[in-house]
Amino acid sequence: MALSIAPILYLLLTSFKDPKLTFSIPPVWIFSPTLQNYRDVLAGTEFIKYIGNSLFVALASTFIAVSLGSLAAYGFSRFKFRGAFWLRMSVLIPQILPPIAIIVPLYVLFNGMDLIDTKTALVVSYLTFTIPLAVWMMIGFFEDVPAELEESAMIDGCTRLQALIRINLPIAAPGIVATAILCFIYCWNEFLYAAILTGRVSRTLPVTITSFMTNKAILWGRIAASGSMVLIPVLIFALIAQRYLVRGLARGSIK
Amino acid sequence: MTISHQHQQNSIRAWLKKLEPAFYISPAFIVLIVILVYPLGYSFWLSFHKWTLRTFKTEIPFIGFQNYSDLFANQEFLSSLKITVTFVIAALIIEFSLGMFLALLLNHELKGKGIIRSVILLPMMCTNVVIGLTWRLLFNYEYGIINYYLSTINFPRIEWLSSPDVALISVIIVDVWNTTSFVTLMLLAGLQSMPEEPFEAARIDGASSLQTFLYLTLPLLKSTILVALLWRVIDTFRIFDVVYLLTAGGPARVTETVSIYIYKYGFQSFNLGYASAASYFMIVILLASAGFLARALGRSD
Repeated sequence: MALSIAPILYLLLTSFKDPKLTFSIPPVWIFSPTLQNYRDVLAGTEFIKYIGNSLFVALASTFIAVSLGSLAAYGFSRFKFRGAFWLRMSVLIPQILPPIAIIVPLYVLFNGMDLIDTKTALVVSYLTFTIPLAVWMMIGFFEDVPAELEESAMIDGCTRLQALIRINLPIAAPGIVATAILCFIYCWNEFLYAAILTGRVSRTLPVTITSFMTNKAILWGRIAASGSMVLIPVLIFALIAQRYLVRGLARGSIK
Repeated sequence: MTISHQHQQNSIRAWLKKLEPAFYISPAFIVLIVILVYPLGYSFWLSFHKWTLRTFKTEIPFIGFQNYSDLFANQEFLSSLKITVTFVIAALIIEFSLGMFLALLLNHELKGKGIIRSVILLPMMCTNVVIGLTWRLLFNYEYGIINYYLSTINFPRIEWLSSPDVALISVIIVDVWNTTSFVTLMLLAGLQSMPEEPFEAARIDGASSLQTFLYLTLPLLKSTILVALLWRVIDTFRIFDVVYLLTAGGPARVTETVSIYIYKYGFQSFNLGYASAASYFMIVILLASAGFLARALGRSD
């Protein structure tokens, strides 16, 4: 258990060290903390802009995926129709495909549409994994909502769509939030697509961190500071949604 | 209103009712067809063509199975395949043994389980780029703390990431750190959903704990293990981020997994037809292993 967070703690610790102390031998454990690394990273407007990019791309992709995903998951949980089982299973296939195989054609197509280095391209490419994840995860949460509730609402004159919005969404809300958190984390963490599709304009944080490895030197202090800034929201979100994530794991719907 | 008119209206209503599921389900699927199925079809087409950064604006010539035959004649591709398979097998054996051990331990230990569970959840949620770079810092030959503490106990320094003999092991260590939590949590969930009666019966019959584990726990956990295995095989086989940040496939290509190989051909040499062929081969392997494990799962249920 200690081992599982030791590297994370070491990174946090390093981010508060004076850059000169990063590699001191023997390692220093007690030192007067400095915000120098954070100041270096945040100096200039670029890093702030890339935080904005990361937020925008992750939020947009999550929002679209959760909206489309709730509709589809509701559909799967409430209707029996021919081929439903196989259609439902087909949602798992995108989760099996290797990202590198998806990004090769997406790169060529975005290149043809002059969309390289745009946030649009990145949002679209992230939907390839957030939509299947959202559909698959939320089917379980919607199945937990008893059908009687919305049936009685529909007898009272609600349409099905109104019943979905007024009854199912509020009851399934914690599950939906957990799904959104997971989608957000996956987008926020994503590196491969971002490394290929973005440049100076639409770069996201994981790519930005690697830019502190220059040809001349690896700026470990800045890597630690920017890395910590990227990790902290993830860790907070993961702890908030912990119970649902573990439940999703147990059902085999998250990995 | 005539009877036939009413009849017609009813049939329209019945027809609309039949289409109702499509209203909910189709938006997600239409988007997936446009952004996923179509591109994959396109890369299938691409895998029979020659696409290079220099020539693609004027022509993308058809070259038949050339990309595929080049692929299987390419020693580096075959070696990347071998490296990936070795990596998957070694990492999974360690992760599942360790994960099983931890899950059994956590299943007994009740105090502070919530906290422990949250803490072990963290590594699998972390940004892979940050994980790769953090371990690169820890593994640093001259200044890294791992080598420093090894040297204090008179152990020789190890070239974790720069020695061709050790690099793959180091990458496996990081993967074990990163994903054992996933295996542990899944197995733990499986353990906790098991019925109690057979275990009581075994205790009354005087079964040893090893016997109980082998003949009760393992068989009852089979489907959980298979689901965990399914995800882990897929995820480990296509690994990219962590390895790329740790070693970028080096030294001397000993950690070049298939994903890194395709990345190099696709996005450093921009030979995208060839990269498409390689990715199709990878898709086939992944679908086949997923299908195989899913069938085993279907039989065990």
